[in-house]
Amino acid sequence: MFTKILIANRGEIACRVIKTARKMGIKTVAVYSEADKDALHVDLADEAVCIGPAASKESYLVMDKIIAACKETGAQAVHPGYGFLSENATFSRRLEEEGIKFIGPKHYSVAKMGDKIESKKLAIEAKVNTIPGYNDAIAGPDEAVKIAQGIGYPVMIKASAGGGGKGLRVAYNDAEAHEGFSSCVNEARNSFGDDRVFIEKYVLEPRHIEIQVLGDSHGNYVYLNERDCSIQRRHQKVIEEAPSPFVDPEMRKAMGEQAVALARAVNYESAGTVEFVVSGATKEFYFLEMNTRLQVEHPVTELITGLDLVEQMIRVAYGEKLPLSQADVKINGWAMECRINAEDPFRGFLPSTGRLVKFQPPAEIPGQVRVDTGVYDGGEISMYYDSMIAKLIVHGATREQAVARMRDALNAFVIRGISSNIPFQAALMQHPVFHSGIFDTGFIPKHYPTGFDASMVPHDDPALLVSVAAFVYRSFTDRSASITGQLQGHERKVSDKWMVIRLKGEEKEQHPVVARPIAGGYHVEYKGEQYEILSDWQLGESLFRGTCNGEEFTLQIERHKTKYSLFHWGTRADFMVMSARAAELLALMPEKPAPDLSKFLMSPMPGLLREVAVKVGQDVKAGEKLAVIEAMKMENILKAEQDCKVKKISAAAGESLSVDQIIIEFE
Amino acid sequence: MHDIIRQLEKKREMARLGGGQKRIDSQHAKGKLTARERIELLLDPDSFEEWDLFKEHRCTDFGMDKAEKTPGDGVVVGYGTINGRLVFVFSQDFTVFGGSLSETHAEKICKVMDHAMKVGAPVIGLNDSGGARIQEGVASLGGYADVFQRNVMASGVVPQISMIMGPCAGGAVYSPSMTDFIFMVKDSSYMFVTGPEVVKTVTHEDVTAEELGGAVTHTSKSGVADLAFENDVEALSMLRRFMNYLPANNREKPPVTPTEDPADRMDHSLDTLVPDNANKPYDMKELIIKVVDDNDFFEIQPDYAKNIIIGFGRMDGNPVGIVANQPLVLAGCLDIKSSIKAARFVRFCDAFNIPVVTFVDVPGFMPGTTQEYGGIIKHGAKLLYAYAECTVPKVTVITRKAYGGAYDVMSSKHLRGDVNLAWPSAEIAVMGPKGAVEIIFREEKNDPAKLAQREAEYKEKFANPFVAGARGFIDDVIMPHATRKRICRSLAMLRDKQLDNPWRKHGNIPL
Repeated sequence: MFTKILIANRGEIACRVIKTARKMGIKTVAVYSEADKDALHVDLADEAVCIGPAASKESYLVMDKIIAACKETGAQAVHPGYGFLSENATFSRRLEEEGIKFIGPKHYSVAKMGDKIESKKLAIEAKVNTIPGYNDAIAGPDEAVKIAQGIGYPVMIKASAGGGGKGLRVAYNDAEAHEGFSSCVNEARNSFGDDRVFIEKYVLEPRHIEIQVLGDSHGNYVYLNERDCSIQRRHQKVIEEAPSPFVDPEMRKAMGEQAVALARAVNYESAGTVEFVVSGATKEFYFLEMNTRLQVEHPVTELITGLDLVEQMIRVAYGEKLPLSQADVKINGWAMECRINAEDPFRGFLPSTGRLVKFQPPAEIPGQVRVDTGVYDGGEISMYYDSMIAKLIVHGATREQAVARMRDALNAFVIRGISSNIPFQAALMQHPVFHSGIFDTGFIPKHYPTGFDASMVPHDDPALLVSVAAFVYRSFTDRSASITGQLQGHERKVSDKWMVIRLKGEEKEQHPVVARPIAGGYHVEYKGEQYEILSDWQLGESLFRGTCNGEEFTLQIERHKTKYSLFHWGTRADFMVMSARAAELLALMPEKPAPDLSKFLMSPMPGLLREVAVKVGQDVKAGEKLAVIEAMKMENILKAEQDCKVKKISAAAGESLSVDQIIIEFE
Repeated sequence: MHDIIRQLEKKREMARLGGGQKRIDSQHAKGKLTARERIELLLDPDSFEEWDLFKEHRCTDFGMDKAEKTPGDGVVVGYGTINGRLVFVFSQDFTVFGGSLSETHAEKICKVMDHAMKVGAPVIGLNDSGGARIQEGVASLGGYADVFQRNVMASGVVPQISMIMGPCAGGAVYSPSMTDFIFMVKDSSYMFVTGPEVVKTVTHEDVTAEELGGAVTHTSKSGVADLAFENDVEALSMLRRFMNYLPANNREKPPVTPTEDPADRMDHSLDTLVPDNANKPYDMKELIIKVVDDNDFFEIQPDYAKNIIIGFGRMDGNPVGIVANQPLVLAGCLDIKSSIKAARFVRFCDAFNIPVVTFVDVPGFMPGTTQEYGGIIKHGAKLLYAYAECTVPKVTVITRKAYGGAYDVMSSKHLRGDVNLAWPSAEIAVMGPKGAVEIIFREEKNDPAKLAQREAEYKEKFANPFVAGARGFIDDVIMPHATRKRICRSLAMLRDKQLDNPWRKHGNIPL
């Protein structure tokens, strides 16, 4: 076996590969950019080599530097993780030339699968179902219309070199096909420098289901069942699960065998994924593409098959035979993964960067909860890389149990300092349509057409929230009442009767409760029901674990002045607690209108101000570009929401902005 | 006898109505509570003992003798408890003659202040007054001065807190201004020496009362007030919380609130708080919040002179005053405003036996004509004076920069700092490496390569805590994650610290 390998990646995947290597007794070498010098993967690895500045194209994407790092450290093989150089045939070939093993498929397999048109041809030859469509170069829009008519509407027009939703159009009629073809060609030329475009059938109710395959250098192949990745936001996977709630055994077998046939056609060695689009309406499945690398969502396959895919990749790269045949592959229970991203679901999922003031993932429980992450408490989320900071993976005997475990785990995931998509994930986890298992890749745009708002998330047990608010307030009050220096015989006696006020916008819902201390907690009487809440929660802690009438629960709490915010199952509930008399007086207090912020352009995220596109005194029309902010590799264009005149520019290009920092003032 | 009791009840009831239901409704319509409602929210339930309910004004001019006399005369006074601890209170009643201050009104305030001094308990004033009772003329002015004199005598003896909950204008502002803390309610309170009308005639400035002297103005622009609250209910609830940090008087130690938060709690996230790049800021508040008991930090003046942070927390259950440079704002430098803000706070803590914990990351004093013309020399000296004079336990932690004179000022060993600790990232030096080499190696200023090398040498030699450690200016270099434990232990060791300054009438702080 190898004695030392290098991981040409960063973040959670680098850490995950290091863990397996360590388990196998293999020494590890991390590479890192200057921005990553305090990153977790650097800390975990036995050795680490700095390969340049923060920008990926000057560090993680530079083959020479990685090859040099291998030579410097004596690493015999390279695991590329995903992204970066993982699907770069040149990299794979160059390593081979240098006598370094690439822990992944051979360069020819990568090259063949890397081109969409080429791969589709191969798939057809291997008798893999492909979407009816036209694979050759198309002369012009008129020909495109003819082809579209031949296939039958709706059709999809897609750039050959495209990806991530770029260079993609859907046409439902001739006019749309004509227009879509032209714009797609332009976009493809500008974005990828390759204006080849193809047309294919647009699949209705499409689900994204992929088959994990594994091949060795001895011609052995297995498929490790499917993963359902239909829950996507803007073509980015959000939740992945295995098995799929949609796939039946025959379908699995058919898809699996086709996936293996395709892998065989390119002499595929290592772990790979064959992606299919599956019609939720007809159960027909069509080959989309093959990812010649380890996928982000590979852990769900690991949890249902009991295999360590990274270990298999390493063994195959070393020349070992697969340890199992297709008959040995089983499905054990249900696994689910949530991608935890540094983004703000309440601000259109804009990236969020900065210091992780708190990062406390839920405790890992073997066989139930797994956390793959590359960050740590007190770490820094830089704007240079991907926004995914962790993967939360759970396993249960059934899909219901997996969902329940995921909900609990999300409740217990504490992240402060930056925003995360945890509230959104928690909301998805309790969506009835998600529970039903009947959904397609349009789930998120369909059910969250205008974005996400915590008020959309109903809580199915508001009494729990009221009781915990009472618990928390009484804990603080009892603590204060234990202060020294009280007048003897006139000590503070804390009442049991309180008014819990839930703040819903301007509305103040009053919930009278009786909260009495009992051993280990408080007994709360609310609307005639009894809630015995026990917890060893300490004042000031964000995480509240306890039991309510014997049933375990976890939620999070923040106190701000006299308000308590509770976070549970994707809901945020704000409370104040006071005496009934104080509540009566509070009702006399005027509601103050929120300040008018329409006169300001504020930074919606932390980032670098690239450009201010307007001048003082300039009249701006709605929709006109005002400024450009760069964050997380993305350029975000801020546009005018209404016609206005620029009064003052408060930030200059090149400046680092914080959230809500004022950039421009209007008249 | 029954008749007399009934008569008493009736009289009480009348007094409790203050200026009558109509005026109470109008007070509510302004978003304000009445004097009695405020006391009800401030004190423990049923703990208020009212005095001088039946006191009436003695004015006979301008028809005042014919006007209906309202018992209480526009101010409710007495004592009660906050979490079982004694406080004296006066609460001005805007429904009675607009809360205006008459001779008798002043007498009532003076009565509770005198008692507070006698028994050693805080005085809380809830201010809501239209000003002097004009009809009484000089008698009213005399009343103000009687209160002023008592404010000064009580200063440093018992804590005095002012909560401005309505107008407070003209001479009336000077009583709160001499108390220890001023809190205000947004949109319903204002303080100024002269109101917007006079301002307009004299300086032709057009300004609203809110802009001129509202809660936001005084907590962010002038620094006159310490905190601004959303409304009366929030303000009084937070005032209760605030009182838990203060001792009853200057002979007592502050009260202890037991905690379950372990004194040896480690926080490894602090090890990465200070960025590698010396020019990159970080939030000092994160350190404070992670170090104090229960992550509970009660910040004072959060919106004024943000380059320094002040406020109360507890360590091991015992209140401490926290002063910290804030690298996020103006790199945490000392300037006129921040020096005054911190100096006054340190003196308060010293007067009331509250230990001072100082977190230092200071690049120096702010340069510039604005600062020099504004008198930074004298104002900066206030903080120096306050720390040097201070005899309560002083624990200092240097997290990063401690440069030049500002190093001396920030509770250094030389100013009788009891325990001075430093993080490994500390740089204790006369100035930053770049500035230092430009002076020491002036003749090499045209050779950037050489200068860069000198800078690196200087950094190597001085940008660390060990030079100061070698001289004993730093007692120890500590791991950031152990900060809480080290401070808690130091304060426990210092609990019975005895240190007296020489006898004198009073020092002469550079005012």
